Amino acid sequence: MAANKGMQQALVRVKRYLPEEQQKTQSEPFWQEFTVPFDESTSVLDALNFIKEELDPSLSFRWSCRMAICGSCGFMLNGIPKLGCKEFLRNYSVRTSPAQKNTATNTSITASLTVEPLAHFTVERDLIVNMDEFLIHLEAVKPYLIAETSTQKQLQPSLQTPAQLAKYKQFANCINCGLCYSACPQFCLNPEFLGPAAIALAQRYNLDSRDTGKAVRMPMLNSHNGVWSCTFVGFCSDVCPKQVDPAAAVNQGKVESAKSMLIQMFKGSTAHEL
Amino acid sequence: MNANKTGSRWQGLHLEPLWWGLFSAGGVCFAVFIPAVVLIFGIMAPLGIIDISYQQVRGYYASIWGLMFTGAVICLPAFHAAHRIRHGLHDVKLGGGLVSIIICYGLAATLSATTLAAWYLLR
Repeated sequence: MAANKGMQQALVRVKRYLPEEQQKTQSEPFWQEFTVPFDESTSVLDALNFIKEELDPSLSFRWSCRMAICGSCGFMLNGIPKLGCKEFLRNYSVRTSPAQKNTATNTSITASLTVEPLAHFTVERDLIVNMDEFLIHLEAVKPYLIAETSTQKQLQPSLQTPAQLAKYKQFANCINCGLCYSACPQFCLNPEFLGPAAIALAQRYNLDSRDTGKAVRMPMLNSHNGVWSCTFVGFCSDVCPKQVDPAAAVNQGKVESAKSMLIQMFKGSTAHEL
Repeated sequence: MNANKTGSRWQGLHLEPLWWGLFSAGGVCFAVFIPAVVLIFGIMAPLGIIDISYQQVRGYYASIWGLMFTGAVICLPAFHAAHRIRHGLHDVKLGGGLVSIIICYGLAATLSATTLAAWYLLR
């Protein structure tokens, strides 16, 4: 993106963290301001790339696809978890005052935005967080088809009707961006909480007609750190860039968990097929 | 599936589904019955829009309808509110643990027991 004449100017405040710096003032998180030219098509990710290429090459952030598929560029934009590639600077316009006039280029700041690393995760450098904390929760729910292992069954095709697909398809759209974990106040209070995406993923496989692993997943969902840590704030579904609606998955999970625990109580065993 | 890995009847069980079940049932009652009760007994009757005689209400209340009214308008909404308050306190890092559970659900249970006793005595 070139700084064309006639483009508007945005003030982008970025939360920096450079742990390798020797000076104490720089080894602690600090704010840095950049003036970035933008037009109608400039995404926040474009702005960060402009900063890295033209203003400060030391800025670190993750990105890949630029089209809300890879889930790499999650940031806190004005305090709300969002994908940088899906958000545009035009949506952060501000009323210009004479004080905000950029005297060097004689242009006015018409947009203002703060960019921070995803909340509730450990920051590694600048806008890069440790996603392992999120991925271990995903792995915990055994997010794969657990099917009959008999050779006879394996040789058969796994047929599925459109109606059976529709039951879980919405929850299969998750791109593992982690925005819902940054939105979840319960994950903030208790990092052991399985969290919205992992529960949506568990529900995605539990609802799959080809899967028979529900009995294996339920003890994890039944625990205090499973579905029951959720207090149904619902912000996870608000911020989800793919409309997965993890809050709905958690609530469905609560119904399933209550059923599972009742059956366990009456049948006297945790090994049951629901 | 996983038939070899069996656990005992009570392994991993806890009371949260019970509180959540009462909370869900109370939420439905809150949404469906309480607005109607407020409209009838809180607004229309005091303003004289409808005429309700005490004897007539007392007669209805003494029947099984009175018990259902108590459950749907007082007991279940009380547990709903108790659950919300307990988790609200947790969210703002107040209380938590067994103390919150005893205070919140204890109050709801006391209120429920009192109103059910009142119905039994007035019946």
